[in-house]
Amino acid sequence: MAVLNNCNIPEDLLYWVREHVWVRPEEDGTITIGMTDAAQHLAGIVVNANPKKVGRKVKKGRSAGTVESGKWVGPIKAPVNGLVVAANEALKSDPTLLNRDPYGEGWFVRIQPDDWETEGADLVTGEQAMADYQAFLDEKGINCA
Amino acid sequence: MNKMRVLDVGLVSPLRSQAIYHGVAYAMTPETPDTIILVGPTDPYVCIGYHQELEKEVDMDYCRAQNLPVYRREVGGGAVYLDRGQVFTQWIFQRDRLPATLEKRFALYIQPLVETYRSLGIDATLRPINDVHVRGKKIGGTGAAQIGDADVVVGSLMFDFNFELMAQVLKVPSEKMRDKIYQSLQEYMTTMTRELGETPDYDRVKRIYLDHCAQALGAELELAEPTPQELAVTAEVEERLGSDEWLHQKGGLRQSDAVKIHADVYLGEGVHKAPGGLIRATARVREDRIDDLTLSGDFTMIPAFAVGALEQALRGVKLEEEAIAPKVAEFYRALSVQSPGVAVEDWVSAVMGVEGQM
Repeated sequence: MAVLNNCNIPEDLLYWVREHVWVRPEEDGTITIGMTDAAQHLAGIVVNANPKKVGRKVKKGRSAGTVESGKWVGPIKAPVNGLVVAANEALKSDPTLLNRDPYGEGWFVRIQPDDWETEGADLVTGEQAMADYQAFLDEKGINCA
Repeated sequence: MNKMRVLDVGLVSPLRSQAIYHGVAYAMTPETPDTIILVGPTDPYVCIGYHQELEKEVDMDYCRAQNLPVYRREVGGGAVYLDRGQVFTQWIFQRDRLPATLEKRFALYIQPLVETYRSLGIDATLRPINDVHVRGKKIGGTGAAQIGDADVVVGSLMFDFNFELMAQVLKVPSEKMRDKIYQSLQEYMTTMTRELGETPDYDRVKRIYLDHCAQALGAELELAEPTPQELAVTAEVEERLGSDEWLHQKGGLRQSDAVKIHADVYLGEGVHKAPGGLIRATARVREDRIDDLTLSGDFTMIPAFAVGALEQALRGVKLEEEAIAPKVAEFYRALSVQSPGVAVEDWVSAVMGVEGQM
């Protein structure tokens, strides 16, 4: 896992850097999304997580659910148009999973994308993602230390 | 110089006083200037946090009887009673225009509030992360959110505050607790009216505030009106914020049963069933120490006035078992007190029940 400004950013995931969203394509054609380590660090300890329910439609750039920390509320944005096929119910009873394991048990929702071929191409991964994320963290003065 | 827009909306309906910043945020396009809204409600209302569960937080019977509307905002935090005594200062900025870290974002947002109070002769300071204090008393809270494509920070200029109604609208486990909330608000909150002995002129304070905003943001502020598009989106938001479905949606986790007065001060209530009766411990905790304590219930203590002495003995004591138990034991040693069926550990359990709520 790469460490950029003390934020863990795994190279093998896809990213929508500006929105701090990570994406993992699954074998069944769905994608799992969540908030990055940088995002959870900025938000602080999460006290409520409210992923959209299974069967709900999501739109690219619109909310796939909300997260509340002691000082902030915001959406985790859907990186594609699609349908929510799974929501992480464990977050309801323990929203701090988003802080403690943002890429694992703290996953947010799984989406069946309408057009992954096209919309997935807007995301970055590997070296490109690391470079983009590094530049973004530097520009915003974000450090997870 | 960077140009920003001010929407001085004046007094609007309670619903609109919340909907307006949501509407401006949701209507934001890349061309929308960063915007500061000044607005107040024509009538009182209650506003709850995004993920709160209405029935658990608000005394709805009271609100219905008083015709107090209740609205849920898309900003976090707790339930609050609002009225004309506050002018809401709502910042709706393009994403990434405000500092990325919340500490710095709140510090920037709070700076003109603090400077406004100081200009009026009130000794206000930033109490990090997001409170404004005047010598240990809170003068209004703040909250941040991302709404649509906008970064939003909200707070208020606290001209006046109705402490009594604030304590009335909350759902609390006992009337004793309600009294304590009221008393604690009186003790740990303040307003411009209290600090100055009179309510300052609203327009004058707003002008001072906007001057300080311009300085803090390094921007030229232009008075404007909301665009037709913003008003249309605000009307849509009003429909949603006013709907029963939105208001009664299930909350998330209840964050704590304690009532937060400000960043360092909480109220909680512990209940313990001792063989000799029920003990209810209502405590105010300040910086982890018991600041005030009331012990009630159907236990028997002889002489009866000794209950007050025990309450006194525990003031200033750290809210932890190792600190409380010796104090209670000492109390029993020092005074000739009888409390059939109630032993040292029962008092400790009751008081430590407060800790369990926080």
